[in-house]
Amino acid sequence: MIITIAKHQFLTLARSAQTWMIAAILALLFGYLFLQQLETFLNIQDQLSLQDYPVGLSGYMSVRYLQPLALAFTFVAPLFGMRAFSDEFSRHTYALWQSSPVSTAALVLGKFIGMSMVMLLLVLIAVGMLFIMISFAPIDLPIVFSAATGLALCACASMACGLFFSSMTRHNVVAIISSLALLVLLWLLGSASFGELPIQAISQLSIASHSSGFFQGYLQSADVAYFILMTLMFLGLTVVRLDSLRQNGY
Amino acid sequence: MLQADKLHRTLSASVAVSGISLSLARGDVLGLLGLNGAGKSTTLKMLCGMLVPDSGSVTIDGHSMQEQPLEARARIGFLPDQPPVYDDMRVEEYLRLCGQIRGMKGQQLSDRQSEVIEQCSLTTVSRNLIGTLSKGYRQRVGLAQAIIHEPTVLLLDEPGNGLDPQQLDAMRELIRRYADEHAVVFSTHLLSEAQSTCNRVAVIHEGKLVADVLAQGEDLEALFHGAIS
Repeated sequence: MIITIAKHQFLTLARSAQTWMIAAILALLFGYLFLQQLETFLNIQDQLSLQDYPVGLSGYMSVRYLQPLALAFTFVAPLFGMRAFSDEFSRHTYALWQSSPVSTAALVLGKFIGMSMVMLLLVLIAVGMLFIMISFAPIDLPIVFSAATGLALCACASMACGLFFSSMTRHNVVAIISSLALLVLLWLLGSASFGELPIQAISQLSIASHSSGFFQGYLQSADVAYFILMTLMFLGLTVVRLDSLRQNGY
Repeated sequence: MLQADKLHRTLSASVAVSGISLSLARGDVLGLLGLNGAGKSTTLKMLCGMLVPDSGSVTIDGHSMQEQPLEARARIGFLPDQPPVYDDMRVEEYLRLCGQIRGMKGQQLSDRQSEVIEQCSLTTVSRNLIGTLSKGYRQRVGLAQAIIHEPTVLLLDEPGNGLDPQQLDAMRELIRRYADEHAVVFSTHLLSEAQSTCNRVAVIHEGKLVADVLAQGEDLEALFHGAIS
């Protein structure tokens, strides 16, 4: 059942012009950033080699090319999630799911997996660009793997956030604005400096501070757990919200 | 096949349905009659599990909607007042999805898909995008999704919406044939529709069931006006 729903969601996104527009804009961004950072590396590689801990091409591109993409993926991913339920409400198709023998958890998980497949394809394209370099430089696979994991986790957590806000309203725009507002707040938490300890703890909720390690090649369990928990929390909240619709109507 | 017991539901601080009990057996075609806002759609939503009643219970084929919701919903086909169709899907693709989410697969699904396409007169548009179809065709696609898994109980909310007289006749005939082996409940505010299709009529007024009678031989107009006055 989950696979059927995931496939349906994937095809729905694949049919949407909006998906292709977002993918095209992202591909342009990937290409521009990749070429710009590759050129910069070629210009400064002599200086980099003189450092105590010289940075290789993979390490450099991971920080300078893939890390900025984490920000892009965080803010683009909710665009895929925003229509998942709000469109179902506004087009009156949610009645099909509500009256079918499909549990809310299966519905949410199926939709999430379907959207993740689209998102992961984009992550693969972004990371795949690094492999263009393989013909003239060795690729540090652990760093690339770590960075790809960071991108995928960031994207999934943000998409789950978009999915949740999509379940709150029948208006796409409200869903996307709400999810972007929350995600911006979660990014800003990391950049603000807090003096007092209880507030300092809040900064630990920042997406930025938990994602940076991935791009330096550190695959830390705390960071992985942060993104998995964030994803599960939003998926759980979506299930609660949708179940409440049976109680309250929509 | 369907047993609803003392359903009660409040929506937006007003009582939408109060103490409605219904019982349907194989072969029953029950028409829910009532004015706009009488509580017909709310009753249907509770019968199909879309809305949880504040109190009361619904049992479908021995499965409680509260305790075994998935089993109960698997035995229901529901056509809401606005057909739940995806504009960007082709008719046959949509019906395949509807069958799959009701647990059908393989040859059984393909056979049933062809069958309902024929039954609902959708053959000529089966490869068309639903978004390009007229209101009448969309309504028929909605009806096809409700019966593709051969549910025990078929619930239809204003199924005649958007259909021309010829299509209305075809739909009535389809409902009557379907009821030979199953039970059907449909809401309408057209007395003629109830008279020509149903063998039982229930009148809902201000959320209460004010009449539940056999349709044959009844003067529905007199019954309806008497019940709501």
